[in-house]
Amino acid sequence: MLKLIQLEIKKFKITGYVIGAFIAMACIFGFVCAISFDPSSVEDLSDFEALFSTIDLLTRGVFIVFAAVLLSRFIIEEYRTKSISVLFTYPINRKKLIIAKLLIVFSFTFISILIADSIVSILMLVINHYHEFIHETLTKDVVIRQTIAFLMNAIAASFMSLIPLIFGMRKYSTAATVVASILIVFIVCSNSNGFSLNSIIAIPITLSWIGAIIAYTSFRNIERKDINP
Amino acid sequence: MTYVLQTHRLTKTFKGKESVSEVSMRVKTGEIYGFLGPNGAGKTTIMKMLTNLIKPTSGEIELFGEKLTPTSYSMLGRMGSIIEYPIFYDKLTARANLELHCEYMGYYNKRAIDEALDLVQLRGIDGKSVKDFSLGMKQRLGIARAIVTKPELLILDEPINGLDPIGIKEIRQLLRILSQEYGISILISSHLLAEIEQLADTIGVINHGRLIQEVSLKQVRETNTEYIEFHTNDCVKAAYVLSHHLNISNIRVIGNETIRIYDLTTPLPQVNKVLILNDVAVEAIHQKNSSLEDYFLSLLNGGGQSA
Repeated sequence: MLKLIQLEIKKFKITGYVIGAFIAMACIFGFVCAISFDPSSVEDLSDFEALFSTIDLLTRGVFIVFAAVLLSRFIIEEYRTKSISVLFTYPINRKKLIIAKLLIVFSFTFISILIADSIVSILMLVINHYHEFIHETLTKDVVIRQTIAFLMNAIAASFMSLIPLIFGMRKYSTAATVVASILIVFIVCSNSNGFSLNSIIAIPITLSWIGAIIAYTSFRNIERKDINP
Repeated sequence: MTYVLQTHRLTKTFKGKESVSEVSMRVKTGEIYGFLGPNGAGKTTIMKMLTNLIKPTSGEIELFGEKLTPTSYSMLGRMGSIIEYPIFYDKLTARANLELHCEYMGYYNKRAIDEALDLVQLRGIDGKSVKDFSLGMKQRLGIARAIVTKPELLILDEPINGLDPIGIKEIRQLLRILSQEYGISILISSHLLAEIEQLADTIGVINHGRLIQEVSLKQVRETNTEYIEFHTNDCVKAAYVLSHHLNISNIRVIGNETIRIYDLTTPLPQVNKVLILNDVAVEAIHQKNSSLEDYFLSLLNGGGQSA
C-alpha cells in the first residue's frame, strides 16, 4: 500500500500541492490578522476561544475545497482521461489502487488542516503577545480544549471532504467536484454571530459518515464494474 | 497444442444491445492471431473483456489455461496491451511513463526500458512530455510499454493506426521478432486485411459481434488458389479449345461469359494466344494473384446478411 501511495505521488507530482497548501495557509493567516485588527469585528474576536474557532473554521473551509481539487486530480481525472484503464490492467488489486488514492486525499487534508490550525494559531498568539488585542490570559484548560477540538474537527472535515467524489464521478467533472465542496463548506463553515451549523454535533458527524460511505462505495464494486465501456 | 487464450460463447450486452455475441475463439500459444473486422464489429469490446476492463454478460474467458475472473489480477501481469488507443500520463515524459508501468507491473530491470524504446525506434524524446507526441509516436510508445515487461501475451488493438508506411513495416518486423524469438503470443486487431495478411498465422473474422470464421492463413492460401479469368462471348467453344488444345480441364464457367482456369501450368500469354488462334474472341483476360481479399470480403458480406 505504501508503495502504491508512493507511485501515485510520483505520478501526480504532489510538490505543487504542498506549495499550494502553504500559500493557502498564508492567506488564512492574513485573513485572520485582518479580522483581528479590524475595529468593527473586535467584538467577534474578544477571547481566545473565538479566535481559535475562527481559525479552525477558515482552515477547514479552505482545505475541504483543496481536497476537492485533489480528488479530481487523483481520481476523477484518471477516469476522464481514461488512464484508469491503464491502471486497471496492472496486476494489482483495484480496490487497493483506489484506496491508495483516497488515503492520499484524506491524509493530505487531515495533515494540512492540523498544520495550518497550529501554525496560524501560534502566529496569532505571538502577534497577540506584542499587540494585545485579546485581553485575557491563555489558560492551559483552553489550550487543551482547543487542541481536542482542532483534532476532532480535522477528522470530521477530512471525511466530509470525500463527499464531492460522488458528484464529480457522475460526469467525471472537476467543476462539479469543486462546486460540491464549496456547498459543503457553506453548510459546515458558515458562521452567523458565533453560531455555526458545525456546532450542532449531529451535523458534522452525519456528514463525516456520508463521506466515509461515499468513499467506500467508490471502490466496493470496482472489480465487477465495467470501466469506461 | 496448447492455447494461450480461449473464449467460450463470450457475449457482451450494452443496454440491451449485443455488441459481442457468442464468440468462441482460440489463440494458440506462440502464434500471431489477427482479428479482422470492420469498425464497430466488436474487436475492442472483446479485447477489453480479455483485459478485465469490462465484464462479459455471459460466456467464459480462459487465459494461460485458467479461467479469468474479476479478481484474477496475477494474470494481468503476464499480458501487455494497447486497447483502443494508447493512453499515457500526458504530463510525464515517455521514460517516466515506462518507469511507472514497470513499477506497477512489478518488473525491475532498468535496461528493459532502453531496450523497449530502442525496439520501437523511439529516440530523441528525453525531456519531452507525452502530450507533445504525435499519434505515431504515441503508438510506438504504447507498443514499447506493452512489450517492456516481456509479457507472454500481447493484445494490440489497431497498433498501426497513425503510423507512416515505414513505421508500419518496422512494427510488423518487430512483432515478428517478438513472436519468433521471444515466443510471445500476439493478438492483434485491424480492419486492414493487407496488414493482417502479412503478419498473422491465424485470422479470426468478426462482424456484427460474431466470429464468422477462424482460419489458419496457410489453409486459406492453399484452398484459395490463383486462377486466370477471361471473358468471352462463346464459352462452349472456349472450353473446348482449352481442353483439346491446351489440355486444361480444371476450369469453371461462371455465367455465360466468364471462364476461370485454375490449372496454371500454362502461362497466361500462351492461353491467350491459343484462344485467339482458334477464333475465340477474348474480351478481357487477367490473372488473379490474391483472392484472399475476395475470400474475406465474401465472409464479411455473408456474415452481414446472416446477422
